[in-house]
Formats: sequence, structure tokens, C-alpha cells
Amino acid sequence: MAEQPSSSQEEFLTLPISIPPLPSFPVPTTHHIYLRRNAKVLTRDDKRSLYLVNAPVDSTEPHFRSLFTSLVGAGKFEAVTFECDAKTTKSSIEPAQALRLASHQKKRKREEEEEAQRIRDEVAAEMPSTWSRPLHRSGGSAVVLLADERSVDIVLKAVKKLQKTKQYPVWGEGVGDKAPALGSSWLKAHNKLVYPGNAAMQAVVDAFFTVYNRKEAEAERLARELRNEPDEDGFVTVTRGGRVAPARMDEAEEAKRKMLERQEKRKDETQNFYRWQLREKKKAEQAAFLREFEEDKNKLRAMREKRRKVQPDT
Amino acid sequence: MENSSAKRRKLGNGPFVPVGTSSTPAASAFADATEELLLDVQQDYAKPFDGVDDILGQFKTTIEALEPQGPALISDATAKFEKAKGIRVPYPSPRPAKDSPYKLAFAKPAQVNVVGSYVTKTMIRTQATHAIDMIVVMPADLFQDKDFRDLRYFYKRSFYLAWICAGLKKHFKESMEFNFQFLHGNELLPVLVTQPTKTSRKYAIRVIPCAPENLFPTSKLWPTSNSVRRNGNDSKEAQAPTPFYNATLKAESLYQSYLRLLHSAGKTCPGFKDACILGRVWLQQRGFGSDISQGGFGSFEFSVLVALLLSGGGRKGEPLLAKSLGSSQMVRAAIQYLANTNFQKKPLVFGTHPSDPDAMRQDGPVLYDATRNMNLLWKMTPWSANLLQQFAKWSLAGLKDNSLDQFDPLFIIKVHDKSQIYDLQANVSLPSAAETFQSQDCHGRTWNFSEKLYQVLKKALGERAFLISIYMPNMASWAVSTAPTLAQSGSVAVGVIYEPTSAFRRMDLGPEAEQKKEAAKYQEFWGEKSELRRFQDGGIRECIEWAKESSASIPKQIIRYITQLHFGLDDQSVSLYGAEASISPSDTQYFEVAKEAFRTLEHDLRELQDLPLHINQIAGIGPELRYASLKLPSTEKPIQPMEVVISFEASGKWTDNLVANQKLKIAFLLKIGSSLEEFKEEIKTHLGLDKAVNETHNLAFLDVVYEDGFAFRLRVRSDAEERELEMQTRNKQLDRHTQAEAAASLAIIRRLYTNLPLHTQTVSSWCTRLPALSPAIRFTKRWFACHKLASHINEELIELLVLQAFLKPFPWRTPTSAFTGFLRTMHLISRWDWPEEPLVVDHSDSITAEERSAIFARFRECRKLDPRFNRTVLFVADSHDTGGTTFTRDGPSRVVANQMVKLARSVCELVRANGDLKLLLQPSLKHYDVVITLNPKALKAILREHGASKQSYYKNLGERSTAAVLPLAESPAATLLQDLRTQYSSALVFFHGGQDDHVITALWNPELDQRTRKVEMPASFKPTGNGDTLEIDRASILAEIARIGGDMIEKIKVKGAS
Repeated sequence: MAEQPSSSQEEFLTLPISIPPLPSFPVPTTHHIYLRRNAKVLTRDDKRSLYLVNAPVDSTEPHFRSLFTSLVGAGKFEAVTFECDAKTTKSSIEPAQALRLASHQKKRKREEEEEAQRIRDEVAAEMPSTWSRPLHRSGGSAVVLLADERSVDIVLKAVKKLQKTKQYPVWGEGVGDKAPALGSSWLKAHNKLVYPGNAAMQAVVDAFFTVYNRKEAEAERLARELRNEPDEDGFVTVTRGGRVAPARMDEAEEAKRKMLERQEKRKDETQNFYRWQLREKKKAEQAAFLREFEEDKNKLRAMREKRRKVQPDT
Repeated sequence: MENSSAKRRKLGNGPFVPVGTSSTPAASAFADATEELLLDVQQDYAKPFDGVDDILGQFKTTIEALEPQGPALISDATAKFEKAKGIRVPYPSPRPAKDSPYKLAFAKPAQVNVVGSYVTKTMIRTQATHAIDMIVVMPADLFQDKDFRDLRYFYKRSFYLAWICAGLKKHFKESMEFNFQFLHGNELLPVLVTQPTKTSRKYAIRVIPCAPENLFPTSKLWPTSNSVRRNGNDSKEAQAPTPFYNATLKAESLYQSYLRLLHSAGKTCPGFKDACILGRVWLQQRGFGSDISQGGFGSFEFSVLVALLLSGGGRKGEPLLAKSLGSSQMVRAAIQYLANTNFQKKPLVFGTHPSDPDAMRQDGPVLYDATRNMNLLWKMTPWSANLLQQFAKWSLAGLKDNSLDQFDPLFIIKVHDKSQIYDLQANVSLPSAAETFQSQDCHGRTWNFSEKLYQVLKKALGERAFLISIYMPNMASWAVSTAPTLAQSGSVAVGVIYEPTSAFRRMDLGPEAEQKKEAAKYQEFWGEKSELRRFQDGGIRECIEWAKESSASIPKQIIRYITQLHFGLDDQSVSLYGAEASISPSDTQYFEVAKEAFRTLEHDLRELQDLPLHINQIAGIGPELRYASLKLPSTEKPIQPMEVVISFEASGKWTDNLVANQKLKIAFLLKIGSSLEEFKEEIKTHLGLDKAVNETHNLAFLDVVYEDGFAFRLRVRSDAEERELEMQTRNKQLDRHTQAEAAASLAIIRRLYTNLPLHTQTVSSWCTRLPALSPAIRFTKRWFACHKLASHINEELIELLVLQAFLKPFPWRTPTSAFTGFLRTMHLISRWDWPEEPLVVDHSDSITAEERSAIFARFRECRKLDPRFNRTVLFVADSHDTGGTTFTRDGPSRVVANQMVKLARSVCELVRANGDLKLLLQPSLKHYDVVITLNPKALKAILREHGASKQSYYKNLGERSTAAVLPLAESPAATLLQDLRTQYSSALVFFHGGQDDHVITALWNPELDQRTRKVEMPASFKPTGNGDTLEIDRASILAEIARIGGDMIEKIKVKGAS
């Protein structure tokens, strides 16, 4: 996500797009995209990209390609990343033990070859998408990557010029069948994609567990290493039982719960024995009774306030 | 009460300590509430009755000053009087014959007195009319010994009344308006009703002539004696007893006696007066009153009953009520008495009866006051007595419940709402042939007809009906110069409560053919419908088979047929009211088939040998598996699988990583799938992907499809997942966001794997116990769908609401048909003040008082944290889950909840006014901002991909081509809706009525204001042209929706645009 716009930052430019009417909603409309230079410059690519707000819900890369082509001609547009794509932070698939051990260990340098294999495996383990064409949140943002830094200026200039000429680009013009159609064929496709096939899913699951098992094995190996190797200061990490890993959080909790239970039980055994205990108990019951009465009274009061009068319905 | 001492317990179980009157705090809270009620209903006498006492005084002096008239022959006197005064003497029917030999006269009354609730100060504010009764005791010397016979007394009385009327009219011509009326709808007793013309008419004064005490000897007026011999006919038939006539006559001379009784009761018992007022409220809320048309049991009868119970009524004549009881306790005791006594089975006698008990035997309800020789219930019909007893029973059932909650059903709720009470209502016009319903007793024609109708219907409906009730029309008053408007025409209203187990039986069995007499009788009663049939057991019997319930439910068919047969009433004169049951109670069989299929699946799964873990439980969670889905489960294409969850034995094989666990589940499902396919050839399995936002959520399901059979959607439960999430929620080291996410995931998982299986079990067992529950749930769901609330309100929530209406039906009976079940649910919703109170559905009767107060505490906490209902709106706890938000977590929002209550209220109003029931299921689309009409053809085309065949000409061809189709993951409209919701979550609120609804509607979020910031827009915004501000871009959003929907959307209509 973009940072808060500060005063020093460039203002957003408005890029109006004219939307052709459809038979179901025969009203010609104008959609407004707001764009500016990407303010978040972290990599070299960020310098030649534009930050867009309010991308249409049904945007696709072909849509933007043709939009920019109609604005500044072909060859300037390179790619687009949508907010939702960038946003999904992958949940960790590290085994819990690996996570715990990660803090004890320096990052190991991997061979390039190994890294590539790893990426291939992880891609294979990804769940298939159920949509032929994903939609985006209304009012969402996107980052458009252009050919070079100069292109950014050209685009901004062209957008500024639009304010005068009022010749707004038309949404979806020239896209043709480069993007899958929406509507019923889109839903039909979705209904098929929901069932990717048992064999395909088996492959995905298998791929996932190849990755996962490898990670688990690595973690185990690491645990063994840690147990034997003194670290920089000459200390050896103490691990539980010397076999697996440090004790787990939930095990500690379990132990605590058991202890409390034992205490509770001991307490229970000494209840209801002495006369004073019974007396106390009775007193508590009495108090509960009174409290209940008060509650009822409050309820009545509330009822009275609400209806003002307790009147039978007519 | 559990902790009370042995002594207390013993006392509590005594025969007549009324329920809940022990001195627990709850009971005294109840007493407090009644105190409150008494204060509020008490009639203010000073202002509305300003000047009444003066008028009454003037009336008295005027009447007493009237000139006596010498005796004259009836025909002469009448003619003379009517000509001179312009008043028609209100003789009861038949009018005296011209040649009658007896003479009429007028003399100074023996006494003029004001009686009734005005004097005892027991009127209440909400009474329909406030009548002040003034009795005029006629002098004894006007009458002869034989005047009790043949209406003679009543002729004389009418003439006397006419004279009083003439006298009063002369004096109060300007200030008062004069009308005649039948007292309590009794055609023998005309009375004079006067109302002030000038002031706004809040009250009426009734002038009631009556007889002096002991005018006629008791021996002549036993219920078993005959006093009316018409046409001088002395045959045996004509000597039938005339209990009603006799009682009317007897009551004429008992006014003062009863006045004394009530007065002394009020003096000796301090709570008596308030008890009478509470009794009046109780009766009024149930539509009972002294009028014959109101059941003939009003506050007067109630007060007398309480007074009698104060002095007797026990088995050995001991008083049933102590004089020290408080008013609310007395009323409860009286209600308990009414509930436990059947006045019709055997006559009930108060005090010692001097002669043989046979002397008071009569048809209909009897509560005999032996001191006065009077049947207190003489105005009651058999059905009204029955109804009163049921009302008392239902009230009592409510009284056993938690303290304050019993107050509303007892006194506040308007119980007299026929659509809430009865499953079937009918309006039957009186047949025009007059003479057929004459009887010796002077009930009047309407009563006679009603009685006959009651007998016929009772016999015809038999065990199908739990209760039949008939409402006779009110009798209007008439101007003194005209003839009385006797109810010659008009109609009576019939209400029937079903016995749900037998009401919809298609076959009626009669006697066997060999029993000739019975068979002939049966044939006579049923006419040509009855036919002889041989049955499987070899018997040959008379029987009747009713048509299938396609057009009208079976009880309706019976009523139509039998009224036609016995009274010659055609369809126009019998109008039936009640929603046509498009949801038939016999639909349960479809659910049975689905359940059977589920058992097969369960069996097949348990047979699998090669699963890595042992199966612990297989539980259905789909509404089809608990008799509750709106659509009947079917095997037609497209296949819509029923949801099932499987849990395995606890195992350490699950990983400790959430994502890996989800993948493991998929592996599990795939394994189950391949094993099943191997195990049985007819099974096909398809692994499908869930709509998971996050990889830690459930990712997949397995659809198991039986060839030409049902399909099931399996999901696997992982105990490791639950443990892990639980730990995350408790782990203080995690950041708040992760914790909240874990809590949300945990709630979803608990709902799916713990609550839903339990809920399914509960609902399905209640559905088998209460036959009307399943159709009622389905009807209610249809209503929710029609009004497009279904997309916001969980099915399970609807089921709980209906279940609550069934389990806590007070002050009515447990609903016995789909429609009453639905209406009670509406009543429940309309009275539910959801911002202020939680709903607690204790369907297993397992919530203790502590738990209950814990629920209330949690509710209050919830409201305190979130006073604007942003997170928690409805709070519904049940026996399995006291958390309160399981089924309300994802909806409805505050707006929708309010809308639901509003709609339910309008339903209640509609049926109360007997409005057109078709309106119930007609949604209004006017108030929606956007109406999106889907194209049914495009939707069908999508379904066709899944085998929903057009009716193919070649049936075999159509079948073959659908052999390998995929099941339907979700209906296309629902998918579209889901997608729109995700994309426009902050701009629009969508409404949709489920699967078969082709219209999606939406409202704009009114809280989206103008803004200047361009980053993090909640929806599409456009420049306003006014500086830097932006506003929501509605047109472009709608254009987007049109593009998304493509050919599926036929039209998008915007409010205001044509």
C-alpha cells in the first residue's frame, strides 16, 4: 500500500474514462481513475511506475494495456499489479518447530540451483484459482509498470491534456477476447474450476508435502546441530529431552492447567464439611435470591420506562 | 424451591396452592408487576363520568314518578301505546298473539338501583364500552302465578320497559339518545340503552327491568322443566326441557342476591376487588365477555366464581380460596380452577343441593350455585366452555415458566386473535330456511344453528380437530321506534385447531359392513362420499378417501363437503380463511428418503477399511437432513449436495501448522474419495474448492455423488486445528490482529463442526416430535426469502426462532399447523425488542438459572461494548451454545434486523384484520435504491451445464447425456451475489431471496460521505466539481455491475428513474 500522501507529494491527476452503455444499464457513464507517480520507491522498477486509485472492478492487464495504448501509443505499458494481488501475505507454511528454531539460527546461504528448485516446488504446491478472471475491490488501487521513466512523464502529460480535449479513452476498447468475458460464461467457467479434478488436487497436495516435509527434516537437522554446536559465545542451546526441540508453549500450559485442577480438587474436598461452611453457603444463596429479585425489579422498571404504561394490548 | 425444607415442599404440593404463588422473589416480582398493571388499567371515575350520578338520580326520580297504568288487554294496550308514544314495544319473538287473553299494566317500581361494575368500581380503561347498569325492579303484583309460562313474563317486562322508555324520553329528549338492545345478546331480554348526545360518548346507561326476588317458585324453573308450550301442543316432544328459558327467568330475580354476594365478598376479602379487575383483563384479552357472542363468561361471572370459591368449592364444601390471598394469587388460583374443571362432563355444584342432582342435569356446561338455584354458566355454549378451559390451561402452562416472563402472556398479550389461535377459520352464512332451527328453548336462531353446526363439524372432523369453536355475531342495538333487528341473516365464524398427527389423514375409516346399524348411520351422515372397501386385513368397512391436498387441505375439503350435505350451503356461503398450504405436512416423506440416503453414506464410510484414522462421527449439517430446507431434497439435476462433516479419532498425526493441516485435510478427502469409488461403483467423488480468503481456512470439500441418487458434501474436522487456534487466541504474545483473526476462524470452525451437528440433531428430533414444526419452519423460510431477508439471516437462526415459538407458545397452544406456526413466529419477532433483550431458546430444558443470568450478563456486556450494534446485533443463545452469537455473527445488520421486526409486525396486523393472505408473500421493491433483475434464461443455461435438462423429447437421451456432470457448487445467483458483496462491501447492501429469486436488490450505504482523500477509497468515487471533494460514483458502480453480470442481468433499475 502507498503511504499517506504528504504535502510535498505530487497531487493525484484525474483520468476520466468513458464507459459505453450496456443494454441492462443503458446509461453512458464516466469512470474516474486517479493516478500519480509512485511515491514508494524501493526498487529500480518503482521509478518507472504509476500509482492508480479507483481501478474499475473488472480491470485486467489487457484493459490497461489498451487504455495506455490509446493514451500514449503502443509500447509504453509493461505490466499492472492490483492491490489484492500484492496484499495477500502468504501464511507461513513453516512447521512450528522450524519457526521456533529460526530465531536461534543464522540464515543459511542457499545454492542458486537449490533455490530455483524450491521455487518450482512451491509454485506446484499452490492452490488452483477458481476464477477465470478475478475481480477487484471497488475503489481499489493498482500499480502500473511502464517501459521507462520517461514514459511516466508522457502519460502524466497526456492525462493532463485530456482535461482540455475531453476526448476520454473508452474502457474495454480494443480488448476483444484477450480478457475472458464476464457474465454467464464466466460463472460457467467458475463452476468448472471449483472442481479442479481429484488427480490434479492430489498432485498439488503431494507437491505441498514435499516442500513441507523437507522443511521439517531441515528443522530436525538444525535442532540436532544446535544441540551439539556451541554458538559464537561458546554456549550450547539446551533443548528439551535432548531429542526434539525446546518445550512447546502448549505443553507448558497443559502442565499449568493440570496443576490448577489438582489445587481445585483439594479445595473441593474440604467443602461442605463444617457448619460454618454450610452457613456461608446458605447466605450466598440468599444473596443470589435477592439479587435475582432485584434483577426482576430492574426488568420491570425497564419495562415501565419502555412502555411508560403497563397496558394490555388491544 | 429445590432447597426448601421438607415442610415447605409438602405445602407446595398441596392440592390448591396455585402455581408460582409461593413467596419466592420471582413471585413477588410478579405481584409487583400486577400492582403496576392495576394502577394503569384502573378506570378514572371522576372525569369521564362527570355528571353521571346526577343523571342517574334524575332517571331514578323520573321512573319512580311515572304514572301507573291500569291493566288492559295486551293487543289493545300495545296498539294504543305504540300509536301514542311512537315507540315500538320490544317484544321477544314471537310477538304476542292478537287474541292473547292476558293483561298488561304499569306500576311504580319496587326499587330502582344502580348495580354492576360502576358501583363496585371494577371497570377498566380498555373496555370497549363502559356501561352503567341501572335495574328497575318491577312490583310483584304485576304478575300472576302462571306468568313464567310461554314468554308471558317477558311480554309484560317488554311493555314495562317501553313505558319507562316513554317516560324517560319525554324528560331527556334533548340530552340523551335512546336505543333498545338485547341484554348480553339474549333475545328474551330487551333493555334500554341511553347515551348522552352532547358529551363525547364514553359511557352508556343501561336501564334493565327485572323481577323481584322469589317471584316464581324454584320448583317451576328447574333446568329440567319445560315452560314453553308453543301452539298449545302438548305432545311429548313439545315438553322438552327449556333450561335456557328457565335460567333467563331465574336470573331476572337474582340481581340483588348476586349484588349482595359480591358486596360481602369485597368486604371480607381485601384482594377481591383487584382480583375482579385482573380477571376482567384476563378475560378481555381472551375475547370473553358476558355477551353470548363473547362466550357468556364475563367479568360478572368471574367475580361470582371467585366469590363462590371464597366460600366453598372444595371436595367437602370447604373454601378453595383463603381470604388472605393477594389479588394476583387469587386470579391465578381461579384460572387454575377453570383449567382443572370440566364443567361439561358432570355438573359442578356449589353448596348443598336440596333435591336430587338429576334436577339440574342439562346439556352444556353447568356450574350450579345451589344457594340461588342457578347455573352460573347458563349463557355459555359447549364450545365456549371448552375454549375457556383451554385458555386457562394454556395460561397455566405459561405460569410454570420463569417469573416475569409469564406476566405478558397472562395479561398483556392480546390472545383473542383468531388467526393465532386457530389453524383454520371459516365464515358460515346462516341458511335462509328459517324453520329448520327452531327449538323449544329460546336460544334464538343463530344459537340453534351454531349448535347444530358444532355437532356436525365435531362428528365430521372427529380426531382431526383438537378444538372447534364458533363465534356468533354481535347483536346491534336498534332505535326505539323500530322493530328489533333479529339476526335472521348474517354468519357465524368457525375456528378449528388441528390435532396435528391426524388432521391430514387421507383415509377415514367407518364401521365394518357387518354392523348394519352403524354402517347405515355412517352412510347417512356422510352421504355418497362413504364407500365400502375391502382392506388388507380382510375386513370390509365403510370408509372415505379424501382428495390429495393439491387444491385445498383435507380439513377444508371436509368442511366444504359436510356443510353442503347437511345444510345445503354452497361455496359462496362458506368462506374459508387460512393460507393455502403449498407446503404440505406430508412432505416429510421426502426428508425421510434423504435421511435414509445419509444413513447409507454413513454405512459406506464406516465400511472403508483403508483410512489412516478411525472415523469417530459422521454428522449431517445441511438443512435437508433436519427437515428444514425450503426446497425438498431431491435427486434431480443439477445435483445439490447435502452438507456432512466427518470427525476422526484424536490423533497426533496432524501437524502443528494451520496451512499444512488444511492440505492434510485435502489429502484425507482425496483418500476417502478414492476408497469410496473403489468400494462402490455407483459412487463418484469430486473434490471442490471452498471460497477461502486465507490459506488457513478450510480449503476444500468432497462431493460424493451416488448415481441416480443423492449427493453429499463432506468436510473433515481436525481437532489439531481447533487446538492450535484456541492457543493462538489465548497467546498474549501474538499481536491483536492475529488474535482476532484466530478468534474469528475459531468461531467459524466451532459453528461448522460443533454447533451445526448438534443443531441438526435438535431440530430434527423436535421435527419428529412436533409434526407442524417442519412445515412451519419451511413456510417461515419462504417468507424470509420472499422479503429478501434470507441473504442476511442464517437459516439456523430462523429455525431457532420458529422452535422458540413452538416451545414457548404461551398464551396459546403449541402451533399445530404450518401457518399458525409461522404466525406465532411473526408474533414472537414482532414483540422481540432485540436491542434490549437476548433470546434464549432452551430447547433441551437444560439452562439453569445461573446460566441464564450469565447469558444476560454477557448480553449486557456486549451491548455496553458495542452500543451502536456494529458487531453484535441479534443475541440468540440456545441450550447447546450460550455464547449467543453463533448464528448471528454474519448477519443481520441493525438495519436488516429492524426491517425484519417491522415486516413481522405488519404480518400480525394483516392477519388480525383478516387481510388478503396473498399479500404475505408479495415483497415490496419500492424502497430499494437499486433493483437488479436477473435473466432467468441465462441462469438456466448455467444450470444446464450441470445436467438440468430441458424437458427432452426423448427421455432416454436426456438422461444419458447427464451421466458424468459435475454437481453444482452453488446456485449461480448466489455466486454472483457473493461476488458483488465482496467487491462493494462498503458501498451497497444487497438483498436476495435465495436460489429461486431472480431479483437482487440493494440499498446505498448512507454513511459514505463526501471525502477528499484519494487513497484507501472504500468504493468508486468521482469528483463533485466542487474543489477537491469526491462523492460516491453511483452510475459507474452500476455500470460495473452491469459489466460483471453481462448477459445474466436483464435490467438494472434505479429508484426514481423510470
